[in-house]
Amino acid sequence: MGLIQRLAEEAGICTISMGNEAERMAKIKPPRALHVKFARGSMLGEPGNVKRQRRIILDALAALKSMRVPGTIQELPYQWKRPDPN
Amino acid sequence: MPIDLDKFKPAYEKWVAESLPDYLAGNVKELIKKYPLIVSEDVPWTAYTGSPSEQTFALITTGGLYLKDLQPPFDTASIHGDPSFREIPRTVRQDELGIAHAHYDHSLAEQDFNVIFPIQRFIELERENIVGRVAETHYSFSYVNDVVSLVTEMVPKLISRIKAAKVDILFMVPV
Repeated sequence: MGLIQRLAEEAGICTISMGNEAERMAKIKPPRALHVKFARGSMLGEPGNVKRQRRIILDALAALKSMRVPGTIQELPYQWKRPDPN
Repeated sequence: MPIDLDKFKPAYEKWVAESLPDYLAGNVKELIKKYPLIVSEDVPWTAYTGSPSEQTFALITTGGLYLKDLQPPFDTASIHGDPSFREIPRTVRQDELGIAHAHYDHSLAEQDFNVIFPIQRFIELERENIVGRVAETHYSFSYVNDVVSLVTEMVPKLISRIKAAKVDILFMVPV
C-alpha cells in the first residue's frame, strides 16, 4: 500500500491511509495516515460496529484538513471491544 | 524522488533465491523480516484543499477482495504475489465478495467487509452530504512482493482510471 499511496500523491491525488504497526509505518512514511490499535485484517475495528467505522472515517476527513506536514501519522484512541472515548 | 527499482531488483532477486525453500514450506514470517522493503527519505505530498462535502472519494484496499462470480481471484501461490487489481463497484454486497490473500485472517472481513473496505459507511456519509460523492468504482489489491510491474504498469493504470473518474481523495486501507 505504501508504494501505491506514494505514487498517487506524486501524481497529484490527495490520500489518507491507515496502519497498525508504528515501526513499519515509520519506514514506509505515508504522506498522511491514521494509526489504529487493531489487528491485521480489521483496520476499522470490530465487524458490525457501524458507529466505530463511521467515527474512524470522520477522523480521516478531519485529518485531511488538519494534517499540514508531509508524513503526519495520527494515533487513534480506540480499543478492540471497548467503548469509544468521548 | 522516483522509486528506485534498479536498486530493488537485485536485492529482490537475492531475497527470492534465499527465501523460496522457506516460502514453499510455509515459513512466511521470517521471510517478511528479510524482504527488501523500499524505503525513502522524502515524503511525496499533494496538499489538501477544499471540503469533503464537495469532493469525490474512492477506496483502495489491499485485502485481496474480488467479485467471486465475475473476476478471477488473485494469485496466492506465487512467492512474487500478484500486482493486479480488481475494480469493485460501490453497490457491492457482502455475498458477492471473495478474498484471495494468503497472509491474514479473513474471518473478520468475511463477517463485515467494511472493516477493510468501508464502502457502506462512505455511502451513508454521502447521503448525509458529509462527503460529496462516492465514486462508482473502487479498487482492491492483494499482497505484492515483486513490485516492479506494480510500479511500472498497474499503479499508472490505476491512477489514469482514478483521474478519469475525477476522484479527489483516496482512502486507503491495508491489511
